[in-house]
Amino acid sequence: MGRNAEPQPSRIVAISPDDGSAIDLRNAAFAAVLSWAVPGLGQLYQGRTTKGSLFMAAILTTFVLGLWLGGGKVVYASWKPGDTRWAFVCQAGAGLVAMPAVVQSAKLLGPARQPLLLNGFMAPPLAPGQYVSRSYADRLARHDADIRPDDFFDKPPLKQFRRDQLAQWHRQLGKFFEIGTLYTMLAGMLNLLVIYDAWAGPLGPSEDEKKRRAAESATTTVSTAATQPAS
Amino acid sequence: MEATTTLTLTTVMVISPWLFETPLLGSLAGRVPGIFFGLPLVALASLIFAATHHEDPAQIRLATVHWTVWLGGMLGMVLAAVLLLGWLQ
Repeated sequence: MGRNAEPQPSRIVAISPDDGSAIDLRNAAFAAVLSWAVPGLGQLYQGRTTKGSLFMAAILTTFVLGLWLGGGKVVYASWKPGDTRWAFVCQAGAGLVAMPAVVQSAKLLGPARQPLLLNGFMAPPLAPGQYVSRSYADRLARHDADIRPDDFFDKPPLKQFRRDQLAQWHRQLGKFFEIGTLYTMLAGMLNLLVIYDAWAGPLGPSEDEKKRRAAESATTTVSTAATQPAS
Repeated sequence: MEATTTLTLTTVMVISPWLFETPLLGSLAGRVPGIFFGLPLVALASLIFAATHHEDPAQIRLATVHWTVWLGGMLGMVLAAVLLLGWLQ
């Protein structure tokens, strides 16, 4: 290295618990953010392609499966009194796949009084007395079998919903509302482990595993010493 | 392959909410006990836990089986206890 050479940036390295090899974590904080945004993407950024693709497939599949089981209705963000969706705190751990819920909720509660995606995907359920835009109310009445045009009071320029859409969803989906919620929550929570793996590398073996390996190593050493001829 | 999988899953999720309403769920509702929907979650938790503790794919597989047995066994014991209490009442 010459006198005027640039100093190498320090690299964050973890140690593999399996074979003791070094794992280059590159920019660990950036990898953690990537792993939040898309599960496993941080590991792919670090070159750990097997784990990255494993995490991506497992967590995204579970999230989408939960969304499917819940009729597309179990992931939504709501902070209304009486319907504070605490489950979304866990679902948000799955990353960008859950973020349309935030946009939908913000638009529905904002001046527009309608979600960005008018099909209501990931939009929060309407509460009794909630005001919505006429176009959203008309669309719900046309496409949702449980909603009729007379479920809305006409309050120009808006319409006011008379019923409880969350109760309708529970009636329509039955146990699948809770099952879908559970799947999506678990996908989000397990992604927290994935984020930590991207930031700090593998967690390493448990204490029992370390003791087992130490015992095996000691047994191997004793056996080797016993079989070696005396010098 | 990973990018294709991700893109496919994201597309399905974003553009086709009507895909989520299928007759299959209606037929499953009465026939499959809810407890069986927990089995994939046990497998998922075991897989993620194992994969975040190891780097080698073979070790990940072994650890996944290890944790699945542990988790399934513990949950199974809890289920057995609950069923026994219900039967005794």
